Amino acid sequence: MMDQLRFILAAVLTCAGLFVLVTAVLGLFRFRYSLNRIHASSLADTLGILLMLAGLMLAFGADTAVLKLLAVIAFLWLTSPVSSHLIGRLEVTVNDDLDRYMKVDDPEAVRREKEGDA
Amino acid sequence: MARIRSDYGPSPRRNFLLWLRSGDECFDRALIDSVSAPAPSEAERGRSAEVRRVPRKEEKVYRKAEAWNREKGTKLTRRLYLALCVVTALAVILLLLRTAALLPPFGEASNPANNEVSRRYIEQGMEETGAVNIVAGMILDYRAFDTLGESNVLFVAACTVIILLRVAAGDRDDAARRLELETDDRMYEPKDDLILQRIAAVLVPLVWMLGLYIILNGHLSPGGGFSGGTVLGAGLILYLNAFGFAKTERFFTYRTFRVISVTALTFYAVSKSYSFFTGANHLSSVITPGTPGMLFSAGLIPYLNIAVGLVVACTVYAFYTLFRKGDV
Repeated sequence: MMDQLRFILAAVLTCAGLFVLVTAVLGLFRFRYSLNRIHASSLADTLGILLMLAGLMLAFGADTAVLKLLAVIAFLWLTSPVSSHLIGRLEVTVNDDLDRYMKVDDPEAVRREKEGDA
Repeated sequence: MARIRSDYGPSPRRNFLLWLRSGDECFDRALIDSVSAPAPSEAERGRSAEVRRVPRKEEKVYRKAEAWNREKGTKLTRRLYLALCVVTALAVILLLLRTAALLPPFGEASNPANNEVSRRYIEQGMEETGAVNIVAGMILDYRAFDTLGESNVLFVAACTVIILLRVAAGDRDDAARRLELETDDRMYEPKDDLILQRIAAVLVPLVWMLGLYIILNGHLSPGGGFSGGTVLGAGLILYLNAFGFAKTERFFTYRTFRVISVTALTFYAVSKSYSFFTGANHLSSVITPGTPGMLFSAGLIPYLNIAVGLVVACTVYAFYTLFRKGDV
């Protein structure tokens, strides 16, 4: 009974993680502009990984593999958002006509506004 | 041969096109142009006719040949090419199919690959080499010569990339040139990203520790010099990306690369020569397998793993920096 319950829970978690990751892939192919694509993929990344690996951990049960999976989660949570951040920053640095895709604040104006507040 | 006419004359087609494009007033302009253009003089006409007449025969031959090329020759060549393609492909397919048909069935116990060599590796490998990890025992003891070749291949590849990509030393010493290289390198890159630096400060020590663990436990668990060295090199690259060349060059320069690579390879060659020499002549050697399973065991294997790991880490890092800015 307990085993079955555990299996069902693990399956539900894995399926939820799969759903999130499929959403991310869909967004990756649906959007045209790179920053939109990063938005779709990197946000879903962390949640999808968490759900998938939590399902795996439940399936393993009490095992040292669970600790390793925790380490994997920590590693991916540290690295994946940072890499998306770097890609986004590179796009902002390199793209000259950024204002074709979005509203861009003039850095000078932002600075003046801040100084005005202070 | 059509008479060559300057395109400025008021031909009906041109008038029609002009009218289509701009409307009625174009006619006036076209008319003015045609009237104001000077008619060619008599002498000019005669000369051009002479020039035209002389190469007529050669031109005919040339045109004939060209027409043959264009119409029949291309077609013929294409057909020949296609036929040769099909024949070659069929021959290769037949050869490969014949070879595949003659191969022994996959996984059969009596296959030539399953001979006394691999049986000996599996049955007596641990006893003879002292390595729990049979693969490490194989590549760094029985077949250590082969692995030395592989490390040298990496080293030679790094040397070749240096020859091809390294910026000339004279250029590098110049201060202005240095600055130019630096801006060139970091132009498209987010500079000194705070988020990346904080994360790298956490991750780089962990990555290096994992790499060292993989190298040092190469004879006890899956891993070894090649995989651990790659992890070490990846940690170096992460550090470089987070903190820039100025900080990396405090502990890793071209000189470090040279010294580490050459020392590691020399150590490998010398120590393995010694063990081969004593082994082949049945002399007693100071290198003993030790107790299998201990960290300091398996004879030379841990040290050879360290040497290979250092070479691999240096090579991975050197490739990255050479492709990025043309210097280690």
